[in-house]
Amino acid sequence: MQAHNEIKASARLVLWTLAWAATVALAKFGPRLLWDPPQQVASWAAVAVNLAVGIGWIVAFTGFLRALDELQRKIMQDALAVTLGVGWVVGFSYVVADAASLVARDVDIAVLPALMGVVFMIAFVVGKIRYR
Amino acid sequence: MKNRITDLRAERGWTQADLAQRAGVSRQTINAIETGRFDPSLPLAFRLAKLFDLRIEELFLDE
Repeated sequence: MQAHNEIKASARLVLWTLAWAATVALAKFGPRLLWDPPQQVASWAAVAVNLAVGIGWIVAFTGFLRALDELQRKIMQDALAVTLGVGWVVGFSYVVADAASLVARDVDIAVLPALMGVVFMIAFVVGKIRYR
Repeated sequence: MKNRITDLRAERGWTQADLAQRAGVSRQTINAIETGRFDPSLPLAFRLAKLFDLRIEELFLDE
């Protein structure tokens, strides 16, 4: 029963993740590829849909965490804590360095979620190995 | 936290996977509890004690 619930919650999370990624792509590329930039209503609608799907993703992720076995949940929560910490610390270090004019060129904001993704994967694998 | 799960499980001829299925958790969780690397929640500790027909303090040793 536990495994069945985990599979259902995982499948739901995957679907919401794909939907969220699709709506990000729509909001990002839609103004250039699907409608002309002056059509702000369409652009705002795409952003609103992205936000709404994002809220659905958060709810799905919460359900996924609840469905997990308690050790798997601990591994996941530890990995999320490390990821949040690294994102927070690195993000603020960059802001401070940038404010002090120590950074030669602007860093693309997309680097931060990519960094957090890598950190999460490493922390998750370390947790899996630790409780193996 | 130390416990007697490995011995009691062996007495009954259960594998870690058998016990995991009966307790509604993953095999990895049972392994981590047996080796003392993970302390179960109170509800899971009660479930495990019930499966072995023992009280929690007879299954988990406070040292």
